[in-house]
Amino acid sequence: MKLLYVLLLIGLATTTQAQTLVSGKVTDRKGHALPGANVFLKGTYDGTTTDTLGIFRFSTFEKDSATVAVSFVGYEGFEQKIRLLGREVPLVIKLAEAASELNTVVITAGAFEASDEKRMAMLKPLDIVTTAGAAADITGAMQFLPGAQRVGEQEGLFVRGGSGLETKVVIDGMIVQNPFFSSLPDVQQRGRFNPFMFKGTSFSTGGYSAQYGQALSSVLLLHTTDRVSNNGLGVSLNLANAGLNYDHVGAKQSVSAVAYYGNLKPLFALVKQNVDWLRAPEFVGSSLTYRLKTTPHGLLKVYGMYSDSRLSMNTRDPGRESGQTKLDLTNRNAFVTSTYTDQWADGRWLLNTGFSYSRNADGMTFDGLGFDRFDERTQARAVLTRQLPGNSTVLFGAEVHAIRLENGVEGVLYSLQDNYSAAFVETEIYLSRQLAARLGTRAEYSSLLNRFNLAPRLSLAYKTGPYSQVALAAGQFYQNPDYRYLYLNQNLGFERADHAILNYQIIKNKRTFRIEAFYKNYAQLVREYTGQAFDANPYRFPWGRTDNAGYGYAQGFDVFWRDQKLVKNFDYWVSYSYVDSRRLFQQFEVSATPTFVSNHNASLITKYWLEKIQTSLNLTYAFTSGRPYYNPNHEYFLRDRTPPVHLVSLQASKLTSLKGNFVVLYASLDNVLNTRNVFTYRFTPDGQTRYAVGPQSYRSFFVGMQIYLSKKAKVDKADL
Amino acid sequence: MKNLLLLAVVALLALTPAFAQNEKYLQAMTAALQTFQQQTSGEPDAAAMQELANRFERIGAAEPNEWLPRYYAAYAYGTLGFSGDNLRTKDQYLDKADALLKEAERIPSQQADELAVMKAYITQARLAADPMSRWQTYGAQFGEYLAIAKKSNANNPRIYYLEGTNLFYTPEEYGGGKKAAKPLFEKAMEKYAHFQPASTLHPQWGKEHTRWFMEQCNQ
Repeated sequence: MKLLYVLLLIGLATTTQAQTLVSGKVTDRKGHALPGANVFLKGTYDGTTTDTLGIFRFSTFEKDSATVAVSFVGYEGFEQKIRLLGREVPLVIKLAEAASELNTVVITAGAFEASDEKRMAMLKPLDIVTTAGAAADITGAMQFLPGAQRVGEQEGLFVRGGSGLETKVVIDGMIVQNPFFSSLPDVQQRGRFNPFMFKGTSFSTGGYSAQYGQALSSVLLLHTTDRVSNNGLGVSLNLANAGLNYDHVGAKQSVSAVAYYGNLKPLFALVKQNVDWLRAPEFVGSSLTYRLKTTPHGLLKVYGMYSDSRLSMNTRDPGRESGQTKLDLTNRNAFVTSTYTDQWADGRWLLNTGFSYSRNADGMTFDGLGFDRFDERTQARAVLTRQLPGNSTVLFGAEVHAIRLENGVEGVLYSLQDNYSAAFVETEIYLSRQLAARLGTRAEYSSLLNRFNLAPRLSLAYKTGPYSQVALAAGQFYQNPDYRYLYLNQNLGFERADHAILNYQIIKNKRTFRIEAFYKNYAQLVREYTGQAFDANPYRFPWGRTDNAGYGYAQGFDVFWRDQKLVKNFDYWVSYSYVDSRRLFQQFEVSATPTFVSNHNASLITKYWLEKIQTSLNLTYAFTSGRPYYNPNHEYFLRDRTPPVHLVSLQASKLTSLKGNFVVLYASLDNVLNTRNVFTYRFTPDGQTRYAVGPQSYRSFFVGMQIYLSKKAKVDKADL
Repeated sequence: MKNLLLLAVVALLALTPAFAQNEKYLQAMTAALQTFQQQTSGEPDAAAMQELANRFERIGAAEPNEWLPRYYAAYAYGTLGFSGDNLRTKDQYLDKADALLKEAERIPSQQADELAVMKAYITQARLAADPMSRWQTYGAQFGEYLAIAKKSNANNPRIYYLEGTNLFYTPEEYGGGKKAAKPLFEKAMEKYAHFQPASTLHPQWGKEHTRWFMEQCNQ
């Protein structure tokens, strides 16, 4: 019985033991009070929330020792062991801010991103689609971004003194062999891809990651969407084409199908053409996208497209007495790409794989003579990424391509085959929240050149303040020479560019400022020796002797300013790019500024959203300074300049409904001022007559609409 | 006899902590849920909501095998995600809610339909934070979570309540509006009439809100 009393006494003792008061203050590193923080003893119910002064006070029956834990959104957790002896335990607790996209440095030099997901992105995907003057074309919109130079008579992205061939378009890691519709003399062609396919765009103007290669100047990285929000049928109607699209979304899979027919005859009847069309372009096409969620994180995407187009035109040909040549073109293009992504171990391992095949056939005749073009590219790619503690990553990857090309020149068929492979490794290291580095190396081999190269890449970024950072990027970039040279000479080697980029940016309060300076060194460029006078015909076949003795440089800076705060629903951004570049390459006998380089490019893009009438009004002004052109009457080489190009464009889109179906109406007016822009001049062989090469049309307009027939269609401005 | 008594007392003493713990949980949850009800019926006060989230979180930290404290803490953070000052803080609250739900998911006693409904609610908050650029991603995800919830328990009234609120705030041009939302609130009310929570601690919120929305739809 005695024992029982003892036991009972012990039991009572435990419950009557004195409480210990735990109190103190929670602040951030700088001593600012943090109200609302959760303070408690681990494994117990004892705890409280800090008051408006960051002060807390609670009592506990726990004895001996316990662990105080503090948690607060946006801050790193905190734990501390304390002794509980019945006396008050005063604590001063300082919490460290948790790493977030805003307080951690981001590697930015050279990259210009449009993304919904990344908070450091300069633009949203929607901004690209709604840029006036871009005609809902991705590359069209990119031409207004800092670092790009506008070249009106050719397709392609001309970046920081680079030619259009120096930029590669990459979809989900796969190089796109034919990103644009088949090239035509002096007519700028559109991109083949619908901008709504993509959830994000990263336009690199240099110093890009070791994951990508075969581009001396730039890569345009496009990321396709993982899901569709629309379910049902849609109809698209405009002055150029009519199309149907259908989306079906299931629990684990979704399908999107598109079919269209286009004919530019009605548009050309309304908008005066500077091109002598014998047969207005006519095209049919279709695409199919299939997405399958294989595991909670595994996603398979397959995209296939096919298009068929034909046209006929008279092109200006100063070399002929008639002054023109008849061109007939039929094009068949197919592109299939599939990617599979997955992750394991809570996202610590990430896998990205892809396989794609593209095939393009141009049946082309100049005055009945065959100039057929054919190309085929098969590629496979795999990248494995390992997430390391503290945001750091390391990735390994490889890719292989088989490329076949054929080119008919006046009835003679040239062909070649290249097996290109590359392996790369890259690591992103966060030395602190302020300082990050990316180190990469890429090794490439081309069977056609029978050569290897090894390209190191480096990026550094340092956070200078809560909203600003500086970044640096440098690296070597290799590219196979233009395949036209390789038909006749397969002893050529890689062309090379070395980049150095310095960047500063500040993003604060819906305002963005960014400035970037660059120096680019070109080496091993192909030179052609013809022993004759310079031939300015851009479509000539390079028959001369060639080697890799060319070189050159490009240097300059660009500035970007965006303000979304000035007026409600009003957004504008300004870009200015300066570039100075000279090269000794191609047929050049002396170093000169190439014809595609304009020293100054500036643009102002504005967007105004009228909430009441659900209409977006967009205006773009773009200025491009004069470009060099070849004048055979002068002793000096490429020193004449075209007049500058001015362009003002307007675009409006309205959301409305038609018999319960959601409808988007859009209209655009290009070259509002009807400026007679000149892109370049060509001369007759005797040098007596000069032709101006300008746009396909001066002032022009376009209207169209998209109807969503599914009742469930819920679309908002983001889908414009 | 003495020994028997002794044994009984020892056994009782040994059991007390376990009992007390369970009792403590029930008490703490009941008290917290009372505040929760007050907070969610009126205009929510951010500081009080944070305090409530902390309370549930503390209970959760002490009870690693209970999913409900985590569930309610996530709800509180979701509400904070709707009312936060700016996009950044809203996302921080919602990230926290996601983390809590992830924890809850790993606990064997969890209810898949309720967790999916809560995920849909959090997704709705993400969408509301920046609808223009988030529609594509989160609009679709919202529907996906509700589909999961339906698959698991089509009689959960909160599925239809959330569907209704989503349509209620979508402009008519895009297939939303009061007219479109009303049938869903009616359906939710019908389900609420037959809904029996597994215990007094299990989710049963939303009925008052649904009634309020129905009134708005009738105006």
